[in-house]
Amino acid sequence: MEILVCIKQVPDDSVNIKMNPATNAPDLDIATPIVNAFDTYALEMATRLKEAIGDSTITVVSVGPDKAKDAIKTCLAVGASKGYVVKADATDTISTADALAKAVAKIEEAEGVKFDIIFCGKESTDCASGQVGTMLAEDLDVPVVTNLVDIEKIDAGISAKQETEEGYNIIEVAMPCVVTVTKPEYEPRYPTIKSKMAARKIPIGELEIGDVVAPAVTVVANAEPPKKAAGVKINEETLEESMAMALGMMRDAKVL
Amino acid sequence: MKFHFSEEEQEIISMVEDYAIKEVGPRAQEIDEEERFPIEAREGLAEMGMMGVYFPEEYGGAGMSYLTYIGVAEKLAEYCATTSIMMMASESLCAWPIFQYGTEEQKQKFLAPLCSGEKLGAFALTEPSAGTDAAMQKTVAADKGDHWLINGSKIFITNAQYADIFVFFAMTDKEKGTKGISAFIVEKGTPGFEVSGHEKKMGIRGSSTSELIFNDCKIPKENLLGELGKGFKIAMTTLDGGRVGVAAQAVGIAQGAINDALAYVKERVQFGKPIWKFQNTQFQLADMQAKVDAARLLLYRAAQAKQDGEPYSHLAAMAKLVCAETASDVTRRCVQLAGGYGYSRDYPFERHMRDAKITEIYEGTSEVQRMVISGWMGNK
Repeated sequence: MEILVCIKQVPDDSVNIKMNPATNAPDLDIATPIVNAFDTYALEMATRLKEAIGDSTITVVSVGPDKAKDAIKTCLAVGASKGYVVKADATDTISTADALAKAVAKIEEAEGVKFDIIFCGKESTDCASGQVGTMLAEDLDVPVVTNLVDIEKIDAGISAKQETEEGYNIIEVAMPCVVTVTKPEYEPRYPTIKSKMAARKIPIGELEIGDVVAPAVTVVANAEPPKKAAGVKINEETLEESMAMALGMMRDAKVL
Repeated sequence: MKFHFSEEEQEIISMVEDYAIKEVGPRAQEIDEEERFPIEAREGLAEMGMMGVYFPEEYGGAGMSYLTYIGVAEKLAEYCATTSIMMMASESLCAWPIFQYGTEEQKQKFLAPLCSGEKLGAFALTEPSAGTDAAMQKTVAADKGDHWLINGSKIFITNAQYADIFVFFAMTDKEKGTKGISAFIVEKGTPGFEVSGHEKKMGIRGSSTSELIFNDCKIPKENLLGELGKGFKIAMTTLDGGRVGVAAQAVGIAQGAINDALAYVKERVQFGKPIWKFQNTQFQLADMQAKVDAARLLLYRAAQAKQDGEPYSHLAAMAKLVCAETASDVTRRCVQLAGGYGYSRDYPFERHMRDAKITEIYEGTSEVQRMVISGWMGNK
């Protein structure tokens, strides 16, 4: 089976980002670039699928600058065996999806393969629009299943366990298809010294794909979220008195 | 002179740091508090290939440089000193002498599973009356023709309750003094061989430290490690390497304490500003970082010499002496910077201070290091 995993390099979201007053944009220099967490889940799920069915290849692709190769190299140490970085003027979801769709065609042509499943993280931890996977499926004219927590190969294609707000759906879908992945029950694996050293030797392809559709979104301004007010502490003698006080305050504020 | 790791080495060190941040650091306090062996890290590090970093791939090792191993040990100690010594007691003190002195059969049988992390190793030299005076071995190995018969005991053995393979030392000829000591390998579960108790310690409390008891324990003839009567030399050369590892552990502990202190002083507000804004705090931390970096250079010099096959006993002794005393000094000062919180067990500072102390004691006390250094100076 041929598997493609689309990844994005994002700033480390465990770092507290502040606005840079000089540029009026988020100061991302303090955050190390890492692989988007949902994409690491997608890669882990793809790798487990590969281990379950055998005889499969996982390719990773990223639309981004040259340094996105570091993110691809990280993926090459934890399951992927080929990697491509796509240079494109893609700044929003619609142009990124278009760039990926064009990259899929280019990689398929270069490698002489057809991808059976394309994995994406359900969203990126920086922009969090959650649209690229679905748009990519539309561009490729293939079915899409979103928010996967598990996947299994069946004769007719794949069986996907989709997380919903109420529980789970089990969806069977024919291949080729796109799936987007949310946090599964397991954690992504760590690389080993051997896999890390092997990854260093894999050349990362660079794809020029020409023009992509013009971005539909323009950033007008950046603003910091308003700081939360300190709030009011209610600590009456009894629970009933505390409740009465809280309800009274809500009535006064006309929220009840 | 190069004062940096190669790109390849740095990648492995960063990889273990990423693991340490996510898996080792968050458990360090619990492991200390509950005196619990770091079983998760023992498995995780094995999977990553960290239990045989610098051994050849033909024996299941990762085939990396010795410097990489030292960088890994230092990084682990930055987050958890117990986890760091768990790895090193197996790798420096058990796998290395088997690699260096073992037969091909011993390497296949014992080194390969140690490198893969399937098995854990330990090293047993110290006895109740043979500490710094290690030549006073009371454990006896009697040649019974088709086997060795071992009687005696060992104390303060790191990893003991969790180890599968032990390199240990015993008298094979009392008349010959240190030349009558030989090295052997014993496996867990061998009849007559028992691991007993858990030493309650000041620091590295999650580390398994126990007594070994040999009571008419029969071990196969082929478990003699190296030549008969060369045990003392094997022990001393093994400890030379172990000392570089302990120096790395000391540097890691000290750096971990500085990192925690720096984060703390930037948050802690007194007299209307973070205490980091006071020059005393800045100068304290500046002094500490300069000292740690100086110690680190001694560490890397010793590691480089070992890697290059140059004489390094005195370099290892200098590195361990300075790194260990630096770690004790720096961690004590970090407790002081954090004041009452530094003394509280809710914060990591007192743990770093307790952990640092052992680096002045095990694998040769600071006094032993001074003996080695002055001995080398006298012979120049």
